[in-house]
Amino acid sequence: MNVALEVERTRATRRTVRQALGRAIRLREVQLLVAIGVVVAVSTAAQPAFVQPGNISFMLADASATAILSIGQTVVVLARGIDLSVAPILGIAAVLVAFPAQDLNLPIIAGLGIVLAVGLVLGAANGLLVSVARIPPIIATLATLSVYGGLQFIFAKGEEISNIPNAYGNLGNNDIVSGIPWVLLITAVLAIVVAFLLRSTNVGRSIYAVGNDAAAAHRSGIPVQRIVFLTYVVSGVLAGIGGLIYLCHVGSVDSTTGSDSNVNLLSIAATLIGGTALTGGRGGVLGSVLGAVFLSVALTAMVFARIPSIWEPAGVGVLMLLAMLSDRRAGAPARRTRQRTAGSAR
Amino acid sequence: MTTAAAPPTRTHLPPQSDARGGSRTRERNWILALVVLVGAEILYFSITVTGFFDGGTGMLALTEQFVDIGMLALGLSVVILAGEIDLSAGTMSSFSGILMAVLWRDGIEIWLAVVVALVASTLVGALNGLIITIFRVDSLLVTLAMQFILGSVATALSGGSPPYGFPSSFVTIAGTGSIGPIPYQLVVFGVFAVAIALLVGRTRTGRSIVLIGFNRPAARWSGIRVDRTIVGAFMISAFMAGLGGILVAGFYNAARDDLGDSLLLPAITIVVLGGVDIFGGKGRMAGVIVATFVLGFLTEGMLVDGQSSLSATMVTGILLIVSLALKITLDRRGGLDVRAALRQRVHRSGRTEDAR
Amino acid sequence: MSSAAVDPEAERHASTVAPASARYAASHVSKAFNGAPVLRDVSILLEPGQVHALVGENGAGKSTLFKIMSGMYQPDAGELVLGGEQLADLTPRMALHEGIYLVPQEPTLMQHLSAAENLYVGALPRRRVPGFVDWARVRGEAATFFGRVGLDIDVQTPARLLSIAQQQLLECARALVHNCRVILFDEPTSPLTSHETEILFRLMDALRADGLALGFISHRLDEIIEVGDRVTVLRDGAMVTTAERGGCSRNDIVTAMIGRPIGVRTRVRRSSDVVDRSEVLKVERLSAAPVFEDVSFTLTKHEVAGLAGLVGSGRTEIAETIFGLRRADAGEVWLEGAPLLHRSPRECIDAGLIYLPEDRARNGIFAEVDVARNVTAGIIPHLPRTWHLIRAKREESLAQEVIGRTSVRTRSLGASINTLSGGNQQRAMFSRWILAEPKVAIFDEPTRGVDVGAKDDIYDIISDLATSGLACLIISSDLEELALICDRVLVIYEGRIVGEVGQGEVTTARLGELVVGGAE
Repeated sequence: MNVALEVERTRATRRTVRQALGRAIRLREVQLLVAIGVVVAVSTAAQPAFVQPGNISFMLADASATAILSIGQTVVVLARGIDLSVAPILGIAAVLVAFPAQDLNLPIIAGLGIVLAVGLVLGAANGLLVSVARIPPIIATLATLSVYGGLQFIFAKGEEISNIPNAYGNLGNNDIVSGIPWVLLITAVLAIVVAFLLRSTNVGRSIYAVGNDAAAAHRSGIPVQRIVFLTYVVSGVLAGIGGLIYLCHVGSVDSTTGSDSNVNLLSIAATLIGGTALTGGRGGVLGSVLGAVFLSVALTAMVFARIPSIWEPAGVGVLMLLAMLSDRRAGAPARRTRQRTAGSAR
Repeated sequence: MTTAAAPPTRTHLPPQSDARGGSRTRERNWILALVVLVGAEILYFSITVTGFFDGGTGMLALTEQFVDIGMLALGLSVVILAGEIDLSAGTMSSFSGILMAVLWRDGIEIWLAVVVALVASTLVGALNGLIITIFRVDSLLVTLAMQFILGSVATALSGGSPPYGFPSSFVTIAGTGSIGPIPYQLVVFGVFAVAIALLVGRTRTGRSIVLIGFNRPAARWSGIRVDRTIVGAFMISAFMAGLGGILVAGFYNAARDDLGDSLLLPAITIVVLGGVDIFGGKGRMAGVIVATFVLGFLTEGMLVDGQSSLSATMVTGILLIVSLALKITLDRRGGLDVRAALRQRVHRSGRTEDAR
Repeated sequence: MSSAAVDPEAERHASTVAPASARYAASHVSKAFNGAPVLRDVSILLEPGQVHALVGENGAGKSTLFKIMSGMYQPDAGELVLGGEQLADLTPRMALHEGIYLVPQEPTLMQHLSAAENLYVGALPRRRVPGFVDWARVRGEAATFFGRVGLDIDVQTPARLLSIAQQQLLECARALVHNCRVILFDEPTSPLTSHETEILFRLMDALRADGLALGFISHRLDEIIEVGDRVTVLRDGAMVTTAERGGCSRNDIVTAMIGRPIGVRTRVRRSSDVVDRSEVLKVERLSAAPVFEDVSFTLTKHEVAGLAGLVGSGRTEIAETIFGLRRADAGEVWLEGAPLLHRSPRECIDAGLIYLPEDRARNGIFAEVDVARNVTAGIIPHLPRTWHLIRAKREESLAQEVIGRTSVRTRSLGASINTLSGGNQQRAMFSRWILAEPKVAIFDEPTRGVDVGAKDDIYDIISDLATSGLACLIISSDLEELALICDRVLVIYEGRIVGEVGQGEVTTARLGELVVGGAE
């Protein structure tokens, strides 16, 4: 092989590496890793117990349910929607698994079937309201938030179900190796699969296209309504899976599970902090997962700093505002214009 | 628009029966339909539910159960007309109610406490508006964040023991007192309903808000002070939410840290049901005022009938979906009615399957 | 009328044409929105290897026809026949599949996606085995296609970083990607400079030579005559005439478009016996890098000055800076001796400066709002009122009076402004600003999107305003327009004033030289 060519190639590689490095620093994922590192370092300096494997495992497991929900939320937001009903979907899925698990010792795999079905149905209902009835996403999912909340209450019969078989608790709380819980692995697998589908399939790219400009997407032959519908189904299904993970991790569920722990806010906050723009078409699920981890770490750090837990929602709110202000385009007004959904005449 | 005294001199305006009249007529018909709906509800519950009508006074007393939501809806309408949204209104009520109660418990005169709470709410509303306009970020996110921040603040303020047992003068006016058969709360609601309706329909601020809602760049290019008007809209919304929270506290004669949290969803439902376009600009306050009673009597009728509050909430959600779906269908322009769109979609999906 | 009507039999014979090129016919197409007919029994035929130009005033139905032909709208009646095959219930997706592509007036790319991905959006090439997107192929082929349309950019550049012209060329490249047989151009040149337009025309020539059937809409008659092998004129949704190249003159087309012959426009004259030529607006060394720098000029009473420059030369930005919509880095602006810079638009209006924006649909009208409130939108703080309440009747009579002055034709003050024609909407915009009683007016593209017939009326309005003492600055890309109505014209090139053409010297040719930087 020609030496000059070889040299040229090395040089080009070096240039590419430098460019890639420059790009990486600007990536939200990298910024978040740094931020997580800083929070961990500061907290550890104050309280060495922060980095005990038990605590790390706790934080990561705690982040998992949020992360799974935020993956779905991200898919919806990428197509310029928003899903405010993930909390009761999580709750309903958990309740509907918890009863047979308690009474019939239902295997987890069957539970998975139940949550997938629940997420599919409820997500599809959201999708229909937004894509077919053309109701603005925020209103549609705000409405289903209350409808699903009522359903959750009815399904739970006002009880708290806490007699869950050990298999569930083991999955939800055991570590693969010290500090790395099984649920994190599940989350990571889901995130990687969804990220890959978003990046490398026509449907995934269509979600980005719809989020960028629904009318133009329609013009390009993308079935906009179906894509929008699909995003809510994905969000519903992931919220359902989130419900199963939640059940495994926490071990009990009642008629307000999900709503009372603010998972709606957490999923949106994680998405936003993860760098996905509310204006759609920009961002990705890996950032959202890191956003969820960051939130969990930051909130745990608050506990270590002896800040009362009542300030947790405020902490999330403030972090969300800070994320918005640090990258204004991410929080830039998604002009809720009348011609949002394509297919309508312009 | 036709109530001013001065008659047109050499200008004669032909009656509106054209395309534009169409949208105006649609708005009017929508409000008319709401009025009929209220009548039908009252009639239905009066006949089927014992104790609902109760010689008229019972029905009027029921309004105390929901005018606080109406207060939030009035304020929210202003923000929504400007093309924004305020998700912090519910916890704003909690914040205001609890702040008022805590101040009173700490020995401040009750009416002064009310004023302080309202001022504080309005200031938080201004903060919402300022963050949104200065940093140009989405109101949905800012007020969502604020919703949770205020929730924490309210919890922290209450300190675990909800204050109760306010002075009777306060409980009479802000709570359960009445003038003859008419509850004070209804009077307060009436006053503010008229005030907000005039503000939106007849003042320069209201005109600016509506035009901003229709087309923000055009408003800016026309010299309308967009940013400060929007801050003002959020202040109005926060003030009304604060007032709603105080009415809730007065009604229960106690203040809990979550007293307003459940008010947001029905308030948004009322605004949308009242015919205000969620994208801003279009809508009339009269619709919102009537919608307050539509939703209020529906919910209260169900509760008096012995249904659970959760099923009432579910009905709220369903009503929100149905009313909006209906409205969107009615508003849809030529060639885009729902059936045609569906038909087209079915065709399309069939064909694309073939194409593969 | 009937010369382009398509005989379905003949159409079927044509199906023997090779798949790479096919004739595309729309026959007897009708379409109504909200019961208002937009197209009535229109038939056109696009032949392979030809450019079929479509002209007509705004609202004549040209764009609607193209949108129907590309599947964006469904026709109420009529049929579309491509190469002998009838296309029923055409959707954009089907249209692409059949090789029909619409290049829109304003490029609509996915801003956050790369140029390469934009090229393929909706139909990214897949790798055979797992069925996933073949990114290597996307990047590799994109470069080839960009080369074919003369686009020299990194394929990874996000679309939002491309200029309008680059975006428009990218739209054209998309048609090539989809291997289209028919390309419809809906006023592709309106956001382009003359140089960029040339590039586009060269591309169209190449496509025509390749045997593609091209449709082309433009407002500019010169372009129609330059590129059209065949011209069809639409008026009020109906076909007026169709002619081959050379079959009709410029005047014939104009007459067909507006339904009556128009006289040759003469330079608008104003009485020259005005003595008061006092200075009202003074702009000194205004800069906002990198958009424009060191801009100085003055305006006097009764004067109509022009500001000529290409799109992107900084002319609109200068106006918006003076009007308080943008920040300046340096410089001063005085209105009648009072400093004006960095005041809000409201303060500018109250001081006597108004600005008619270039983009009427976006920054001008409130589309769904009635004419009355549209007209009074500029003087909201000064509306007649009792206590704080606006007096509706008095407001209406104000509006009525001023739309009378500009002769806005509307069914009523309560009609929403989007029911008006472009020309009437623009007159209403003038009404809005006349109400503000300005001393200085900046009119940015005052006749953009205005019918040929209504242009003269707008010139008259401007002329009358100047006669009554207003100092006007007209920003326009239409050099002929500037030559017609301006006393003198400032020429801006790449953010700097490069010349001034004084009274009596204003000619299209002289301006044309300067706007492209020809003075240096």
